[in-house]
Amino acid sequence: MKRGKNQEVFDERPQRKAEPDARQLRKQAGDWLKQRRADVGLSQADLAARLGLKYYTFISQVENGFSRVPTETMAAWASELGLEPAAFAKHLLMYYEPELYRLLFGTKK
Amino acid sequence: MSVVAFERRRTMGAWSESELETILAALKLALTSGDGRGWETGMTENGDVQFYLLGPLPDQACELCVSRIGRRYILEDGSGRLLFEHHSLALVALHAKAAVRAGPWWLVAHVTLLWCTVRQTIHDEVEPWFAEGEELFVELAPHLAMFA
Repeated sequence: MKRGKNQEVFDERPQRKAEPDARQLRKQAGDWLKQRRADVGLSQADLAARLGLKYYTFISQVENGFSRVPTETMAAWASELGLEPAAFAKHLLMYYEPELYRLLFGTKK
Repeated sequence: MSVVAFERRRTMGAWSESELETILAALKLALTSGDGRGWETGMTENGDVQFYLLGPLPDQACELCVSRIGRRYILEDGSGRLLFEHHSLALVALHAKAAVRAGPWWLVAHVTLLWCTVRQTIHDEVEPWFAEGEELFVELAPHLAMFA
């Protein structure tokens, strides 16, 4: 069965070795975001401009795993990356708040 | 003829030792607070360098980020809020220091920073105008004296 684009991009799960710390998970989120940005053919500067940021440095900050996508701008990020906002937020929650994600949605076997 | 070798200002590539020293000196208090704060450097996809001040353990999320784009230094917080930008790293580092400092002296620190910023701007923007005017006066003075 052919899966939709969103299904494919959201099927990537955090690589849980023993007990990855917050930094590792943020880095994985950053890598995932970088891939999604590449999928839509945007540079960091393009994305920043579309999000109304004066400089593109924050995009790099997030993709390098040092910061999170702020909750209040998740919808805008999702829109610019061509993703459905709720699924985008849910996917990022898996990296940013893994325990909350597990409580809300359970762990996928 | 001897040529004085001025240090060329870095606009690309990795952080120089002196740049890192300036930032680390400003953030010394935060980094030695003993709560696991640390720092790291990184790069944007365009090769612009970034310095991240990481918060306490275990999360170690970015609290402040200093980036160098061309000849400009950008100071942002961990949510991407632009806090300050200037071509003087010393001034940006002072703002970074004030941003991480918490306590009753924050107002004094902000007033001092404002004063430093105004002084730096006057030094960079206004003084060259005066210097130009002075040069012009020196050049024209003999001619004016002839008419007097």
